[in-house]
Amino acid sequence: MNKILYLLGEGFKNIWRHKMTALTAIFSLFIALYIVGIIATAGNNTHKVLHYLRSKYKIEVFFSQNVSNEKAVGFIHKIKKIEGVRTATIIEKEDAVRIFKDQFGEDIVELLGYNPLPVSAVVNVNRNHRNFFNVEPIIKEIKSIPSVDEVRYQGNLINKIERNYKRIIDKLPYLSGVIVLIAVLIIYNTIKLSVYSRKEVIETLQLIGASNIFIKLPFVIEGILIGMISVILVFPSLFMSVKAFNYLIASFSSFNIKVNFDPFVLVWMFLIVILISIIGSYRAASNFLK
Amino acid sequence: MIEFKNVSYAHSKGYGVNSLNMAIDEGDFTFLIGPTGSGKTTLMRLIYFDIFPDTGLVKVNGNKSTDVSKRKIPNIRKSIGMVFQDYKLLKDRNLFENVALPLHVLGYSNREVPDRVDEALDLVGLVGKEMHYPNELSGGEQQRASLARAIIKEPDLILADEPTGNLDPVASFELVRLLETIHETGTTILMASHNYNLIKGRGRPIYELKDGVLRVR
Repeated sequence: MNKILYLLGEGFKNIWRHKMTALTAIFSLFIALYIVGIIATAGNNTHKVLHYLRSKYKIEVFFSQNVSNEKAVGFIHKIKKIEGVRTATIIEKEDAVRIFKDQFGEDIVELLGYNPLPVSAVVNVNRNHRNFFNVEPIIKEIKSIPSVDEVRYQGNLINKIERNYKRIIDKLPYLSGVIVLIAVLIIYNTIKLSVYSRKEVIETLQLIGASNIFIKLPFVIEGILIGMISVILVFPSLFMSVKAFNYLIASFSSFNIKVNFDPFVLVWMFLIVILISIIGSYRAASNFLK
Repeated sequence: MIEFKNVSYAHSKGYGVNSLNMAIDEGDFTFLIGPTGSGKTTLMRLIYFDIFPDTGLVKVNGNKSTDVSKRKIPNIRKSIGMVFQDYKLLKDRNLFENVALPLHVLGYSNREVPDRVDEALDLVGLVGKEMHYPNELSGGEQQRASLARAIIKEPDLILADEPTGNLDPVASFELVRLLETIHETGTTILMASHNYNLIKGRGRPIYELKDGVLRVR
């Protein structure tokens, strides 16, 4: 028990004794973890950007001239039942006149003596698809409804957005894997270098008769502490970065996106850092033990 | 206490020791003399099982080099106090922490440590310097600190490898006198030196090591 208390104390004291080494290690770990945290947060929020863009997808359906408002309501119910459709809103003939007036400043009924504008509908698509969203089957089904005269939609733009999203989603796991691996190597080597800089301590302790565990434990505790301090520093930094990003988006852009910071990212980051710190410091100390 | 039987050891660069035979009994104070590179440090390392003989047998406190496992070495070293030419004090710890280190290795409680450190520092004349770091001590003081660290655990055997190598004549003489004082308590001591003038006429057995070969002087 005396030994364990002493070794725990030594782990803490070593941080203070080697302030510069510890600070360098904490700073390196902080940078690596911050980058991983930003990427993880970005990955977690990618779908939000897509949801936002999908919410802007608009399909305009124009019915034939002879379709009355009442009849169009029946067709709109059909459209709502199509898979992938979120909402369908009717624009009655009278609404169309008002919209025309808003846009062109002229009352078309006064000009022509009758209302030439057809009943139409604005269709919004479902935003929650996990994968590539294909708008074409919806268009096809809408066109198959009798009395639908014309369907207008931003086909090329939608396809471009969906294709790029798919590309990002496909590559994200690999990119995250590479970045986590780099972070792991940085953390591992930082801890190792901090142990290597004190190889004479290990040699002296061996000569005094210290057991391997007695020698390694303070290094392991020190490694864990350095890892913990880094994670503790990363948390407010990531939180503030996300807040700043949301503020900038809200203040200087027309996008209505709010990025969320998932505390779970921090939990697994914490666990990974502790694990790497233990392995890194244990192995580095072992290298000097004959 | 220490027995060498036809011990040979060759370093990778070729030098080492050849067919050494030596016996040091419990309570002896023995000198080992020889020029630099003669194999004194190799012989010391064989005693604390830092290296193992290529041929022959080393026996220390009943532990045979042929039977010693890596796991057992720390336990064997717990009963050996070591003093080196370069002191091997930990630069990041003060004198108190350096001297107390073996006690923590042995599992002493924090309550027991201060009194024992005071005792050891008193014996080597370093009371009042507890909070000094090694770089704040003179060479002689550092070597006495190293000696305090060696004796604090009341070892059966003290190995002093060129302890006066970096000291001036006065400090060297004082250190040997200190070792003699410690020896009076019954501790077995083996001290290696290349300085014959320092050890001659003390009435102690002297082994001479030259080119890896040992003889009684």
